[in-house]
Parts: sequence; C-alpha cells; structure tokens
Amino acid sequence: MDIINALVAIANYVLIPGMAYGSQLALGALGVTLVYGILRFSNFAHGDMMAFGTTITILFTWWFQSMGLHFGVLPTALLALPFGIGGAILLALGTDRTVYRFYRRKKADPVILVIVSMGVMFIMNGIVRFIIGVNDQNFADGSRFIISAREWKEWTGLAEPLALKSTQALTVVVAILVVAALFWFLNRTRTGKSMRAFSDNEDLALLSGINPERVVAVTWIIVAALATVAGVLYGLDKSFKAFTYFQLLLPIFASAIVGGLGNPLGAIAGGFVIAFSEVTVTYAWKKVVTYLLPESMAPDGLVQLLSTDYKFAVSFGILIIVLLFKPTGLFKGQSV
Amino acid sequence: MTFNMRATLLFAFVAVLFVLEGTTTVWIFSGSWNTSLGILNMALISAIMALGVNLQWGFAGLFNVGIMGFVALGGLATVLVSMPPSPGGFAAGGLGIISGLLMGAATLFVAIYAYGHMPKGRTRTLAMLAILIVGFFVYRAIFDPAVAAVEAITPASTGNLGGLNFGDPATYKERGWVTLLSWPVGGILAAGAAWIVGKAALGLRSDYLAIATMGVAEICVAILKNEDWLSRGVKNIIGIPRPVPYEVDLQNTPSFVERAASFGLDPTTASTIYVKLLYGVLFAAVLLFILWLAERALKSPWGRMMRAIRDNEVAAEAMGKDVTRRHLQIFILGSAVCGIAGAMMTTIDSQLTPGTYQPLRFTFLIWVMVILGGSGNNFGSVLGAFLVWWLWVQVEPMGLWLSDTLTAGLADDNWFRIRMQDAAAHMRLFTMGLLLLVVLRFSPRGLIPEK
Amino acid sequence: MTDNPYQQNRGNKDASITNPHGRGEIPFVESGKVVPAGTDGPFLIGDAMTGGYGRGPDILHSCTIAVNPGEIAVIVGPNGAGKSTAMKAIFGMLNVRSGSVRLAGEDITALSPQDRVVKGMGFVPQVRNIFPSMTVEENLEMGAFIRRDEIKSTMEQVYHLFPILKDKRNQAAGELSGGQRQQVAVGRALMTKPKVLMLDEPTAGVSPIVMDELFDRIIEVSRTGIPILMVEQNARQALEIADRGYVLVQGRNAHTGTGKELLADPEVRRSFLGG
Repeated sequence: MDIINALVAIANYVLIPGMAYGSQLALGALGVTLVYGILRFSNFAHGDMMAFGTTITILFTWWFQSMGLHFGVLPTALLALPFGIGGAILLALGTDRTVYRFYRRKKADPVILVIVSMGVMFIMNGIVRFIIGVNDQNFADGSRFIISAREWKEWTGLAEPLALKSTQALTVVVAILVVAALFWFLNRTRTGKSMRAFSDNEDLALLSGINPERVVAVTWIIVAALATVAGVLYGLDKSFKAFTYFQLLLPIFASAIVGGLGNPLGAIAGGFVIAFSEVTVTYAWKKVVTYLLPESMAPDGLVQLLSTDYKFAVSFGILIIVLLFKPTGLFKGQSV
Repeated sequence: MTFNMRATLLFAFVAVLFVLEGTTTVWIFSGSWNTSLGILNMALISAIMALGVNLQWGFAGLFNVGIMGFVALGGLATVLVSMPPSPGGFAAGGLGIISGLLMGAATLFVAIYAYGHMPKGRTRTLAMLAILIVGFFVYRAIFDPAVAAVEAITPASTGNLGGLNFGDPATYKERGWVTLLSWPVGGILAAGAAWIVGKAALGLRSDYLAIATMGVAEICVAILKNEDWLSRGVKNIIGIPRPVPYEVDLQNTPSFVERAASFGLDPTTASTIYVKLLYGVLFAAVLLFILWLAERALKSPWGRMMRAIRDNEVAAEAMGKDVTRRHLQIFILGSAVCGIAGAMMTTIDSQLTPGTYQPLRFTFLIWVMVILGGSGNNFGSVLGAFLVWWLWVQVEPMGLWLSDTLTAGLADDNWFRIRMQDAAAHMRLFTMGLLLLVVLRFSPRGLIPEK
Repeated sequence: MTDNPYQQNRGNKDASITNPHGRGEIPFVESGKVVPAGTDGPFLIGDAMTGGYGRGPDILHSCTIAVNPGEIAVIVGPNGAGKSTAMKAIFGMLNVRSGSVRLAGEDITALSPQDRVVKGMGFVPQVRNIFPSMTVEENLEMGAFIRRDEIKSTMEQVYHLFPILKDKRNQAAGELSGGQRQQVAVGRALMTKPKVLMLDEPTAGVSPIVMDELFDRIIEVSRTGIPILMVEQNARQALEIADRGYVLVQGRNAHTGTGKELLADPEVRRSFLGG
C-alpha cells in the first residue's frame, strides 16, 4: 500500500505537473527553434509574443464571459484562442514587415537580428503592459478538476490524494494535437517541405523557385500560433503575468538548445527534459521517502535537492551537461 | 577613435540636458539640481557598465546577456565587505558554511578531474555520477545545519554572516571608507563568475556564451534572493555605510550651514546636493580611470590583437593566437567592470534589494546604451549610457506631458484621460525598444561610430 | 569586415543565438522589366557583360557567353579568370553594369534570380547544391516547386538518368557520396523542366571515374534538346564534349570556338591545356 501511495504522490506532484509544464515549454521551444532554423536567429521577443497572444485571448475571454458565452466544462479561453492567435499573427507579420524584412534584404548577419529582436522585445513588452497591466490575471473557468483529490480518495481509499486539473489534461491534449499537426505540415505538405528546404539551404531554395518571403511569412504565422497556444495553456495552468512570460525565455531557450536548435523534434524532447528536471529537483521528496522507508528512518528535512527559486539553475545545469557531452543537442541541431 | 566634432557636440547636448534639468521647470524639467545630479550619478554608473559590455561586444564580439548577474555580484561584494560581521553569526555556522562550500567545490573539481583523467566509457560516467551524488549529499549535510544555525540568529535584523567591516559594530557606519574597498572586490567577484562561465561556454566546440550568461545571471540573482545567510535574501540589507557624509550630520554642522547660507541655499537642499556631488566626483573618477585604461589597452599591442581576432579570427588563429584564451580574457575584464559598477550602485543606494534586479533594466537596457552610442567606441558607450539613462528617467514625465497635451480639453475623470495617464507609465519600455530599432536601422554603427 | 554595417558581426559565432547553417548569400534584388529583344540571336546569351559584386570592382569586362538548344557550351580558363562569375552574371547574382542577358528573345537583364528560375533557367551551384537534411526524393520535389502539373514522369526520367538515386530515394541527401550528391543536384535542377541548364563545375571534387560518368549523363541530357552551359576546371575533358567553348582570362573572352577548334588551337593548348 505504501508503495502505491508513494507512486500516487510521485504522479501527483511530479508526473502530472511535469507533463503539463513540459508541454508548455515544448510548444514555446518549437517556436524558438523554428525562428532559429528559418530566420537564423534566436528571437528574444518570443516570450513577449507569447504574452501578447495570451493578452488578446484574455480580452476575448472576458468579453465572452461578460456576454454569458461559455464552452461547457472547457475553459472559455479555448473559444477565445483563435482570436488570440489571430492577434499574434497580425503582430508577428506586422513586425516582420516593418522591422525584420529590411534586415533580411540587407542580408544582415544573424547577430544583428538578435539585437533587433531585443528592441522588438522591449516594444512588445511595453504593448502588453499597456494593454493589460502588470498584475496577475486569472482567466480560467470551466470545471476545475477532472479528478479532484477528494473524489480520488473516495474512489480508491488511498491515503495519498491525486488531483488532475482540467487545465493540465487540456494542456497535454492540445500540445499533442498541435505538435502532430505541425509535424504533418512540415513533412507532408509542399509548403512545409519548402520551409525545411529554406532552412537547409536558403540559396538553393531560391534557385528552386521557393519564395523566401512566403516561407518567412508562413513561419511567423506558425510561430505566432504556437506562442499563443503555449502562452494560453501556461496562463490557464498557472496564471497570467506579463513578467512571468518574459522569464520563461530562459527555460524555453534551454529546451530548444538541449534538444538541438533548429530541430523541432529536439525542441519537444528538450521541453520535457527541462520540465521534468526542474520539477524533480525542486520537489520536496519527504512524502515519497516517508512512504518507502521504514518509520524509523523517516527523514527530518524536506528532502528537496534544491529550493524552488533555483529552478533556473536546473535548466542551466542540464543545458551545460548536454552541451558538454553533445554540443549539437540531444537531437542533431543546426548549431555546429 | 578620434574625438571629433560630432562627438563633442553630442556630449555638449547631453550636458545641456542635465543643466536644463537642474535650472528650469519648463516642459518636463524639474528645475531641481537634486534630480539632475541623481540622474547624473546613475548615468555615470551605467556608463561604466556600458564600457564593460563594449569591451566584450565591441572589441571581441562576445554576446553577454547576463550583465545583471555581474552587477548583482558587485552588489553582494558591497555587503560582504562593508557591513559589520553579524554578532555570533560566524561562530554559529561560519566554519560549517565555508567547509560546506569548499566540499561542494571539491566535488566539482574531483568530478572534472575524473572526467579528464579516466578512460572514456561507462565506468567513467558511473564514477562521475557517484562522485557528484555522494559529494552533493555530503555538501548538504555539512552546509544545511550551518545555514540553519546562522539564519536562526536574530532573523528580524540580521540572520546572516555579515561582512568584513571589523571593529565596533555600533559605529560601523562611521567607517564608510571600507565601502570603497568593496568596489574592486565587486570586480573580482564578477571576474570569478565570468571565469567559470567563460570556461564552460567558450571552451565548448562552438560558443554558447549568450545562453550561458543568461542562465548564470538568473542563478546569481536567485542566490541573492534565496541565501539568507549571505545577504538576507528578499529581506534586503539596509544601512550599508557610505563613503560620503550623511545629510543629517551636515545639517547639524554649523560651518556647513553657514556655507550653504552664503550660497543662498537652505541646509537640507545644500546637504543633499553636496552628498550627490561627492558621489558624482567619486563615480566620475572611476569612470575616467576605466575609460583611460580601456583606451590605453585598446591602443596597445594587446588591443590591436583583439581587433585582429575580431575582424579575422581565422587569420589570427593561423598566426598562432589562442583565440579562446583571448576571448576568455576580455570576457573576464568586461564582466569585472560590470561588477565594479554594480558595487557602486549598491553603495549609492545604501542597500541591497535582490528583488530589484531585472534583466530588462540591468541587461538589455545596457545593450541599448552600447548600440546607441556606437559599438566598439568607448566614448560612444559613455554617451549612449548618459542619453539612454536620461531618457529612461524622463520618459515618464514626457509621457505625462504628452497625455496631458492630448487630453487637454477633457475632464479629469474622463476615461480616455485616465487611460492615457496610465499608459504614460508603460511608455518607458516601448520607447527604449523604439530607440534601439531606429538606431539599428538608420545608424547601425551608433551615434559615435568606431571609425 | 564588410562595408555593409548590417553584416558586421564582430567575429561573433555564438551558436546559442545565431544559426550560420544554410544562410543565403544571393543578394536581394527587386525585379525590373523584361523587354522583347528579337528572336534572331542565340537562345541564351550574356552579351558584353561588364560588372562585379555589389559596389566592388569590375570582375567581368565585356564578356560574352551564349548557348543554343542541343548544345553544350563550356567556360574554361585559369583560376580566378571569372568563370563562375560569368555564370552568376547570367543568372542575375551579379551587378551587371553594362551589357545584357537575353533568353528566348527577351532581355532579362533586370530580372532577379528567382524570376529567372520562373523563366526556365535551371542552375546547379558548385557547392551547397543539395538540401542535406531532406531525402533524395524531397530534393527532387523541391526542384519541381514552381511546377503545378504532375511531376511523377519527370521524376521517373531523372531516376532513369541516375538509377542510383532511385535506390537511395528515401535517404537524406547529405548522407550520400560526393558523386551521388552531384547527381541529386543535377536531378533537382532537371525537375524544373528547365529551358536551359547551367552547371557550375559539376565535377569538382569527384573521382575521375565518377567524372566520366557525370559527363556521359550531361551529354544524355543535352540530347533531349536542353541547352547546357557549364563551367569546368577539367578543361580538356570538358572541351571534348563541348559544342561551344569559351576561354576566359581575367574576365575577358580570350578564345572562342567549338570544343574541337579550341583543343586544336596551339595557343590554347600551350597556355591552358599543358601542351
């Protein structure tokens, strides 16, 4: 019984949150990795694009809620999501048109684009603060739990509770759907293949009649959609705060690099590696250990490897270890 | 690097901005020398940070997005040097903490040694894992109780080890000169961190400096926020001794009050301006010294070599230059400069508040300064720092002025008026981004280009 | 260091923020107008081209290259003679300051490279001429990107021409041997159904046996009526199969004639073919 309780505790505090967080990071990292692969720079404004898409989604959610429009047991935010994605796409394409395209035509070095993206980051950050402010915004509704701790205890009679928030399940399901669609697009459609070709060899893509502007536009559309989905899922799961999204940049970059920059499969793997390491290392294992060890050996402390404030240190540690042993990331990336 | 007409005019323009701030109340200006000098002092510190980043980016193409971390380490140095040791703190767990940290360092060292000296294979991996895991638990076993003991001592006021300002704890504020010592120490701390980061990120097959610095900066701030025994974490450290006199003391000095009166100033204003001026002189001295050093270094054979590496790494490597080593060198130097600036900043604040270290303000804003001023030009960086910092402070009044002008005919409770005033508060980041983009597009070499 | 301030990267090679992999170098140009030019001249001609890269010095000086359907035209010459540059000028990757490029009775001098592709020009660069992470079949598909009709039959033709590619169709092109990659590269260009095929040193870095094989295939392609213009380092072998030969020296036409004439010309023999 104690072993089952221990497993339930692991599932409740490590597995489920890790899966949800991993999905969010994976979606974020996919966006970063696509921009890296096709536009050839790391986009510092990615976190703020997530925040922008989420902001628009929140505004629509509030509007729908005020009209009494709901989505049954699912959060209203899902209804608003397409509008958020639309807003983010407009922003991304507008930014590309007014900012990035100029540098592309000048054949600017990627590092200049990185600095440009810093400027875009400032502006997007300002816009988000302007629209929605800096405070915590909660926009989740619908049914809160698929399995609540109380129901679980009644069903199973176990001492250890297990709760599955609907947002967590939703996160994983949506992430799987989005990733499947993306992979189908990249590997099976003409446009998707042309994006891969462009990433592989820009000049030859041009010589094959592939229109670079179109590839870039499609990339921004996908990236904006991914960013919004990731941002909304994160916001539903935790809560929305502009600054938090900016801070997600580090774990997202770390995920993309750990997986191998420019490699979509790697981005997903990297997201989960980072998420699970963060959750595992910062989880207080006292409960689990108490279940597994005889009573006399029960630990006094929290059995926490690192305090939660050090979750960045975990991302970073994993990153360094992977880079030391496999400089191109877990999956072969383009950063050689 | 000619100090030409254009540069002179630009610096004169900046000077006018500060004079206007001090003398007139038209438009956005406050007409207060206090405010003007306050902005100036922070601009001086920012200029030093910009110099450090310019060393790395301008002269070696190293992309440091972890400036915040080095600045925070400088701040930590101020605490560690200038605060008095907490009574009973060291006795309670000082040795435990130090030996714990040494144990941690030893573990890493042994693991790295094993990696370097054992044959490749599963045995090596297992051995390293074993060393790391055992080492980690031993470290925690020594470290944790010591920390708990230290943090248990008067947690409301200290709860940390304190600093090295020995002597009578009651009068530690009188030994403000100790704080000056913390500035070079801040540089050394930052240099140490930079050495570790550089070793890890520059030694790899391709360099990963950007992500590495970004990570380390977050870790540095996390340590400041979290390690109460060190810097009281988010409970902040206040009352850091000052290398300049306190305003209250000046106001109680008859001779000072007399002098102030002879200038037609009331004692309060006079004392604050006097203190700010003193700080300004100190900071300007440091800035000029570092600027002089940087200019000297870059005109030396070493500087020529750095530029040769930057402009053609392959050729430099073929000539037998150890590029990685040179890069590591300049990265450490630049970070040390940022550390010094960080210590100075904590000094003028008289407090260490880890919660205020944010990347937008301490990393990316410095980048705006360097790019705006002109990457690769030290004077450009200084100019960029002055302009950008001035704007950073003044954007809000400008925004308010703008919103007032736009909504002039509207009632005070008009929603549009309220919205606009709200927006003014968020204009800062937007303006900085716009500034960076405009400069990058129309004057990509910056206001004072390198050549 | 370049003059272009947007390309100044200060030697930065930070892999965590910049991706040098597959970066393009073809400069961006806005397409200008196409002017009718009469149909009496050769099918494709770069006529008296003078120009260089960007604002740099002139590399070509009144250089003329032409090719007709069913012909193989070969550009040879010493290192640095501007052979590849001449080819690039015809393809619009160079700033042609005077002279013109005409294709099938149209003056296309002002067209951008991508619009020349649409006009039916196929180009195989000397290096980086495949999509390494994509399969052989995907490489061919990408070659046919501008086509909206059925591409299966063209692909069969390419597989017929290069049987080895059919066996390796699902393998990543980057994993193939040098000779096989060149076949992928030529195959990709053929997939466009080009009206003219331009090859920049197709045999660079392959073994002599593979080189002979490649030349055979190129002759086979030429027999289908597609005009072929190629730059070659191996002057003797190339001139043997050439209907037209151009010997360039310092960006100028030094000798012009059929392949046989040039091979027989004592001066050409002495200076370029080693006696």
